[in-house]
Amino acid sequence: MRALFVTLLAIVSSFAARAAEPVNVAAAISMRESLREIGKLYEQQTGQAVTFTFGASGQLMAQIRNGASIDAFISAAAKQIDDLDKAKLIDPATRRDVAGNELVLIVPSDDVTSPNGIRLLTSPAFKRLAIGEPKTVPAGQYAEQTIAKLGLAEKLAGRIVYGANVRQVLDYVARGEVSAGIVYRSDVVDSNRKARPVIIFTENVHEPIRYPAAVIAPSKHADAARAFLDYLGSDRAIAVFTAHGFTRPPRAEPVPANK
Amino acid sequence: MISLNDLWPPTYLSLRIALAATAITTLLAVPLAFILARRRFAGQTILEAALTLPLVLPPTVVGFVLILCFGRRGWIGHWLDRWFDYTLVFRFEGAVLAAAVVAFPLLYLPAKAAFAAVERDFEDTARLSGASGLQVFWHVSLPMARRGIVSGLTLCFARALGEFGATIMVFGWQSGRITLPISIYTDYVNDDFAHATAAVLTLSAISVATIAFYNRWSAGHLAK
Repeated sequence: MRALFVTLLAIVSSFAARAAEPVNVAAAISMRESLREIGKLYEQQTGQAVTFTFGASGQLMAQIRNGASIDAFISAAAKQIDDLDKAKLIDPATRRDVAGNELVLIVPSDDVTSPNGIRLLTSPAFKRLAIGEPKTVPAGQYAEQTIAKLGLAEKLAGRIVYGANVRQVLDYVARGEVSAGIVYRSDVVDSNRKARPVIIFTENVHEPIRYPAAVIAPSKHADAARAFLDYLGSDRAIAVFTAHGFTRPPRAEPVPANK
Repeated sequence: MISLNDLWPPTYLSLRIALAATAITTLLAVPLAFILARRRFAGQTILEAALTLPLVLPPTVVGFVLILCFGRRGWIGHWLDRWFDYTLVFRFEGAVLAAAVVAFPLLYLPAKAAFAAVERDFEDTARLSGASGLQVFWHVSLPMARRGIVSGLTLCFARALGEFGATIMVFGWQSGRITLPISIYTDYVNDDFAHATAAVLTLSAISVATIAFYNRWSAGHLAK
């Protein structure tokens, strides 16, 4: 009886010792497929499990502000990390850009009649454009800048539908509910070919797309979180990002205004 | 500072959607309630269950089914798109349909109960005096069931006004075109609690007024 008890205790404690608590990473939903892949690689290599919460960067920022137990945050724009920095909710020493991306105009794959290029948005068949909701969805923020810069704001008035995150925009296009949408190039790679890009916008019509990451300041697993963020800069992780259509982070991170 | 200019467009849109949805529901639910209260036929149980279903299903299920049917690639939607170059999704009509389906049982159930409570003798007497079926319905059954029907109308309107789940799926989140319940959700998502509070108060005020009318009416103060 005693031997059984000792054996059981040994089994239980070995589980407890092995199962290091997972690191909770909140990340922009455009990184969903690539981060899941990288998370698996990381766990195979280190034994450290990583769990993800995906959503619009602005929504994730609000959750972190309201005390969600998140260890690291990867945003799709500098703004959310800047805001958390001002609120002293990130460790600034751990901040780095992990990837870049490009902005594209997409149409449903089976739409073969719409004209290519920006003319699409003024053609008679064009009805509605989906973009991310600009306040919380960085892709929507970049899309809004692009629309303004190209002087299309007036023509598109009353024709814009918001997605609660960039993947909802992709979904609206893939299902054909809207004529076109503005998403990241990487989203098209992860779309199972249900949408095709007709324009890749050049960087001079919107601010450079970057994915800054940082460890959250009150994290209980700060070291493990930092180690995972470091892994995102490894060759293997970068290979995954590149395969999913991400680019290397743009250079010259602008110095945040509060420094 | 919350200005009336921010609050009025979503309020106006919500009121229009709720009124249109109540009108459509009335045209369908009242005759259906009358027929189902009077006739017996095969498949009646299933039809009645289906008509009551939106009351117990989450509105997101209603929204999902509406998208399956009326989405641009949906069962009915792709024909509408092909023949008329038309789609309900993201349109005013889509929001009306979503609100009407969700609010339907709230008019249908009390209307049916009210018709069932009408003494058959009155209808029979009218029929014996030579009134047609339609005349019996219009001049006898409907006036006698009016209390239950008007109660149902107010509940139906209040429910349509507050519809969120199915509406966000069918009508979506549009730039500059947003219903009052959706604006509360988006304000919450955008961390704009002051604005959300103003919208919550507006919606609550209209709903309280509607329910107060309902209570007075069903208590009989206004019915006589």
